[in-house]
Formats: sequence, structure tokens, C-alpha cells
Amino acid sequence: MTASTTGRLGRRSFLKLGAVAGVFGATGALASGEAIRPASEAELKEAFAGSKKIKTVCTHCSVGCGVVAEVKDGVWLRQEVAQDHPISRGGHCCKGADMIDKYRATNRLRYPTEKVGGKWKRTSWDDAMGKISSKLTELRDTYGPDSVMFLGSAKVSNEQAYYIRKFAAMFGTNNIDHQARI
Amino acid sequence: MTNHLGDMQNSEAIIIFGANPAANHPIAMQHILAAKEKKNATIIVIDPRYSRTAAKSDIYCRIRTGTDIAFMYGMIRLIRDNKWYDKKFLNDRVYGIEEIFKECEQYTPEVVEDITGCPKEILIQATAAYAKAKPGCLIWNQGWTQHTIGSSNTRMGPIIQLLLGNMGVEGGGTNILRGHDNVQGGTDMGCLADTLPGYYGLAEGSWKYFSERWKLDYDWVKSRFKSKEMMEAKGFSLSLWLHGVLDEANAKNNAGTPLKALVCIGNGISTITMTHKVKEALDKLDMVVFIDPYVNDAAVITTRNDNLFLLPAASQIETSGTTVNTGRSAQWRFKVVDPLYEARPDHEILFDFAKRMGFYEQYTRALGDGKGNFQWPEDATREIARTLKTIGLQGWLPERIKAQTENWHMFDTVSLAGYGPMKNQYYGLPWPCWTEDHSGSPVLYNINKPVSQGGMGFRNRFGLEHNGSSLLAGAGSAPKGSSVKGGYPEITGDNIESLGIKLTDKERELVKGKNWKNDNSGILNKKAIAAGLVPYGNARARTIVWNFIDPVPKHREPLHSIRTDLIKKYPASADNPNHFRTAVRYLSEQTAQDWAKDFPVNIVSGRLVEHMGTGTETRASKYLSELAGEMYGEIHPELGAKLGIRDGEMMWVHGTAGGKIKIKAKYGYSVLPDQVFLPQNFSGMWQGEHLGDRYPEGTAPHSYGENSNQVTSYGYDQQTSCPETKCSLVRIEKA
Repeated sequence: MTASTTGRLGRRSFLKLGAVAGVFGATGALASGEAIRPASEAELKEAFAGSKKIKTVCTHCSVGCGVVAEVKDGVWLRQEVAQDHPISRGGHCCKGADMIDKYRATNRLRYPTEKVGGKWKRTSWDDAMGKISSKLTELRDTYGPDSVMFLGSAKVSNEQAYYIRKFAAMFGTNNIDHQARI
Repeated sequence: MTNHLGDMQNSEAIIIFGANPAANHPIAMQHILAAKEKKNATIIVIDPRYSRTAAKSDIYCRIRTGTDIAFMYGMIRLIRDNKWYDKKFLNDRVYGIEEIFKECEQYTPEVVEDITGCPKEILIQATAAYAKAKPGCLIWNQGWTQHTIGSSNTRMGPIIQLLLGNMGVEGGGTNILRGHDNVQGGTDMGCLADTLPGYYGLAEGSWKYFSERWKLDYDWVKSRFKSKEMMEAKGFSLSLWLHGVLDEANAKNNAGTPLKALVCIGNGISTITMTHKVKEALDKLDMVVFIDPYVNDAAVITTRNDNLFLLPAASQIETSGTTVNTGRSAQWRFKVVDPLYEARPDHEILFDFAKRMGFYEQYTRALGDGKGNFQWPEDATREIARTLKTIGLQGWLPERIKAQTENWHMFDTVSLAGYGPMKNQYYGLPWPCWTEDHSGSPVLYNINKPVSQGGMGFRNRFGLEHNGSSLLAGAGSAPKGSSVKGGYPEITGDNIESLGIKLTDKERELVKGKNWKNDNSGILNKKAIAAGLVPYGNARARTIVWNFIDPVPKHREPLHSIRTDLIKKYPASADNPNHFRTAVRYLSEQTAQDWAKDFPVNIVSGRLVEHMGTGTETRASKYLSELAGEMYGEIHPELGAKLGIRDGEMMWVHGTAGGKIKIKAKYGYSVLPDQVFLPQNFSGMWQGEHLGDRYPEGTAPHSYGENSNQVTSYGYDQQTSCPETKCSLVRIEKA
């Protein structure tokens, strides 16, 4: 899971080091007398001290480009292209390059929400799941399982997609489909 | 895809129909450009619009939307008359080409020019260039599928490749650039109205097989359905479910009930045709549930007041599991971080529902020890591997997929072959990956390799003969190292020994009455592969599909055709009273009125590189919104002049089904004066109204735009029910 960070110095890491040296040099030239703490050995390394690099896959299109995510203390700090990925070879489109921002976007749906009397209302998982389950059970009992339509997803893992299909089967309907139909 | 992305670098010619990888799959496009740079491959693009991909082509053929079949029959006629076809390939590995040759007769270059609008000289130039270059790679995308005859388009491409002997070779193949990141996997997993996972279908035998794999009693599974008949009937599809809500006459196809609730998991439903009808359906349902990391745009399109739930799903980098790319390669998407806020991974939401509805124990019985102790997702990966034999997923074990992803640097781009510890396997173990130590199969139908290294012929799926002709492959067409030299049927417990494979008494007992699709012992597969045989047999590819509406693919004019004069000669098929539980209009819609008279402009729709699907995720990004944050319609300056609309002015676009959008006109020359290009990635504007204030607090995206599908037309593929967004007609007025 952890990409090799030893040995050779890649072009990007070289540029990064150059940038650090440049800033240091410029500040030095201004020489205001303030002491600049020299960057430690650990800080000068390609990765943040104590971080780990996780190989994962872009979630946008079907090409399957490699993404290297640098994570520390459960926070995704930096994103790198995967120069050595056999399909993407270090390439990314603008969507792939934006993966890290997509995840930490502040406009995500943060908590279960219900529309009540035309107004959005924050609710709890327990409350929402309870209400939905009761309603689905009631519809199933009254009109039969075919009264419900399930739409699954081309945006989830194989394992989740398989379990979405299995869920529809156990609810008792073939009213299940996903984006392959468009 | 029969081949894979890096394999395009082996091509001498690449022909692209209805796809725009330069914008939609930029990293796939790099492999296409590498073929051009390294091999001087000829790039041929057939598209109604001069797309960014067309700009990189050597030969560009502009055709009218919905006329690909006429164009391809024109190609086939030229290939036939000039004897550019691969005679041996046709003799040994193809069934029914005579019927195709008969149908192509009427498509002279002049006729093709009349139907498609592409000059006959360009047709001839493109066909000659493509047919003479070997190997040639054929690519398509949604420009082919979103038609009433999309399923005929997608048959014609393979027919051309069979004719030229371009199937089963590196640098050849039929290569579909699919949309979403796991659309291949989601399809393989059977999130579909017409099949169980692994394309097992819905017949009793399949349900019995799955019940056993799920460790359940078949009768219990059956009891969950209204009836055995409904259990084996196709459900409503993604494009047609709204008619199960709005048109109550469809209830008779749906166990007597209209649809009352929608549970939508990770699906942008404003990408199907006629969004304004989708809104009506959402408004009418008793309950609507959206499960997404962001607010689904459909949740603000609907104006319902109650029983609308938004559940925050974790994003895919906040969970882990297998994802399958367009080339059938599996990768392990490692979890990067824990879900943010109150988000939960999709499977945990499903488990919770199953608990509350009383079937959690049955739902998870096939996982781990069957008593609720399991490891997600690995135990589900293993369950899938021991169940989906039809596409050869037996080798997709979590340990193998993880090891490959961790070692992605040890694989070759062009061949996908592994090095060092990854030797003897291809990247992503492209299916079929028949056994726990199989290499995967980077190029389907390649007989130049042994089965153990990814070789195979065509599948024996449609019987042994048809109209007195054998459907098995001819002599000398078996994969390398095969103990049987010609064709043979799919392997069963009953026929395996007649193919020269010896079984012990114990093995014979274990495989009795079984076939390669349901033999849980794995003996049939292992023994067949050891003898160099493909478990699914070695047959001919069929060019005619006798159970389809059009056994031989036919050109049919779009339901809303701009060429009214051609409708009589190339009419739509008959109306279908029960197509995925829906009564669907074809001929009656096509002839209901003179559509082109009132709606004289053809829509060409497509994606922008900055966005994906409805844009729900990408428009939530401030950077991507900055790059492409505005909806527009690209029109030719001549059309603008005719309508009195200047570049940058607003215009109203009216659809044939009553929808309308107000968008900015953008002058451009990629379209003809009777076309308008509409990006399909916007939402959040509704017939001139801004819906930003309808979002729950703090969830609004960074950019909005009119949703183009408010003006796309009624129409669904005659076999698959894919919506016909690509041939919609509109009327444009200055706003």
C-alpha cells in the first residue's frame, strides 16, 4: 500500500526541493535579521514525517488512473500523480487532479436530512432509517415488492454493487438498474 | 472492451464512432495519440460534431446523428466488393455473414451520402484506409448507445471487426470507452433490471444457483417476490421507471401496482431523457430516498414537500473495494481516510436497512462464517469470486487484486504483462480470470495464446447449430495448445470426457449434471484449462441475432428525424406493449406529427472534460466550476444570424416533449447550421429559474446550469431501453 519513497529522486521531488531552497534563499537575501529555522532533514524529505502514501484509484471515469494520497493522522494532506501506474503513467485530467478537493469539499451532504412540510430538516440516522424502513415495509405489504424502484450505481465498488443487487432480490423485485443503461 | 487502453498503441488504424476521448477520457486519448506518434496509425473519426477528438484525426467523417448503421453498411459493401475482408477468419470463426452482405447491397456510396450527409469520397477514403491497415481498433461510446437502434449500432461495430479479422488480435478489437469509474463492475455485478450478477439472466435455474450461493433456500427467495412470474420478469429500467409512476396503465406489467417509492443510490437521474417528466414522477411518488456524498440534483428539481430523504454516503476513497476499468482490469481502491462528517459507506446503509426490515441474517449469510462474523469488503470479494463463473471471476481474490495494485509499477503499459513477482499475470487480472492462479485475459477471443495465458475463442452460447449450419468454430481455430483443434461445445460434466479429458470416479460424481457456469467444485474449469480448452467452448461469433427485433441490424430513422422524407423507407419498429414493464411508443411516436417542421434543429450532446455525469460531484468543486461553470449551447453563426441571436446572447431551446431551457448562445464551427451542441453536465437551473435556494443549507454546488435533458426527446432503444438523447430535435428562439 505504501509507495516506495527511498532511493531515486524524481523530477517532482527535485522541483519541490528547489522550491524550498528558493524560498529560503530569497528570504536570506532580504536579510531582515530574523532567524529562519533551517528545515530539518525529515522536513526536507519528499513526504511529511510520519505520513504514509496510499495508492488508490480516481473515482471519475472508467480509465482507472492511479492516485497517490499522502495521509497523516487520518487527514489527506497531498495528492500526487502516479508516474509508475501502467494505465495513467502519471497523467491526470483536471477532474483526477482535483480528487483531494472533491473529498474535502465543504458542500458535502454532512448529515441525514429530511424534507418536512417543504423545509429541509436535519435528522438522525436512526430516525431517517426507521422512517424509510417502515414506509418501504408498508408499501411492500400493501402493494407488493414491485411498488419500489431501486437504482444502484456505477460509482460504488463491485462489492457494494453486488450487495445492492442482492438487496433488491431480497426485497423481492427486479426493479433495479444503474447507469449502464445510459 | 475486448482489448484494453494501452493495447491501442499496437494499432495501425483507429476508427472512433460516437466517442470523444479527447474530452471524456483524456488519459485514454494519450494511448491513441501514442499510436499515432509511434506507429503513424491513421485516426478516423465519425461524428456529427467536429469534436476535440476529430481535431486530432487524419480523416473526419461528419454524419447526421443516428445514421451510423447506413455508414457502416456502406463500409461493408466496399469491403465486400474490394475483397478487403479476412476470408479465413470468416470461414472459421463467423456465422451469418451472408445475411450481412445481402443487407449491405442497398447501401451504395450514393445512398450512404444521401442518408448520412457524408460525401461518398470521404466514406471510400475512410473505408480503404481502415480496411487496409491491420490491426485496426474500433472505438465507441454513448454516441452509439443512446438511440432507439443503439443496440444495432453496437452490433455493427463488431461485425466490421469480424469481417476484417480484427477480433482477438492485439491492436484490434471493439473498444467501448465506458463512462463512470465502475460502470463495468456495476454491470458485471448485475445492478440491472434484466439479469442477476454475472449476466446469469432471471430464469429459474439462475435463481436456484444464486439461492445456493447465497446459502438460502430457493423457496424462501421466491417467497420474497409477488410471484414466480415476476421473479423471472425484467424490471423497470433506469430510463423507463418514471413511466411506472406516471402512466398507471403500466401497472399491469408490474404485478398490478404503479411504482410508489424510489431508493436511489449513487445515481444522477437527470442524465436520462426528459428531466421534466422525471420531476413529475418524483413529485408523484409516496417516498423518495437519495443516498449520495453530495446532494443529488434531482432532490432540488422535485418540488415535493414531504417524504424526501437525503442520506450522506461516504465517498469511494472513504471505503475500499474492487473497481473495474473499461478494459476489464480490476484495481483495489484502497481507503484513504475515514468517512467525513456523519457519512456512512453504502454497504453499511444497506446492512442497516436489511436489519430494520428483517432480512439481515439471510442477506449476509454468504459472508465470512455465515453467522455475522465477516470482514468487509474482502469476504464479499470472495463471495463474488466463488459465484460469478460466467465471466471467469474465480481468480479475483482480494489478496491478488491488492497485490497487483500495490505493485502497479511492475506491469507493462502496452501488454499489461507483469514483471518480477508479478510475472505470469496481467494488470488487473482482466476477466475472464478462470482460476485462482490464472493470468487474466487482456485481449478477448485471442487464439494465439493458450487458455492458461488468456487465450480463447468465441463463446458457445447460442446452441450447436442454426438453420442447419454448425455454430461451432471451424478447423484450426482453437487457442494455442488446445487438445481439440477445432470447435467444441461449452464444457459440461456430461461432455468433458468425450473431449478427451479423463476424470476419476470421484471427480465424475462431483461434476455430474453440472456445467462450467455452475460447477462449484472447479473441476471442469481446471481440467479444461489444463487441456488447453476454454470452459465456455469454442464457437463462431454470430452476426445475426434471431431473437432480436432486427435479426440483421437495420438502419431505422430516429423517432424524431430531421429527414422526414426517409421515414417511410426506414421506419421505426412497432410499438412495444411491455418493454421493461413499460408500453413504449416507436412507430406511433415517429409518425405522430411532422416533428422536423416544428423542431428543425438537431441536438448533439456531450460531456465537458471538467465534468462527469450530472456534474453533481464536479460542480461541487470550486476549481472545476471555475474552469467550466456555465451552461451554453453551441450554434453555428449562420443559425444565429437566421434566428437573430448573437454570440453570448440568451436563447430559449424547446424540446419535442414540452420541456424548455434558457441558455447562452456560443458561436462555433464544430456544429452545422442545423445542429446545437449541449453539454449534459449541468443542473440547478430550471426553465430560467435558479434553484440555488432549494439546496439544504451549506450543500449548494459552485456552479449551476440548465439541465440539457429537459429538452431531449421521448425514445428508448428497442432492445436495451437506453434513452434516445442523441437524436432529439429542438426549436430555438431568442430569449
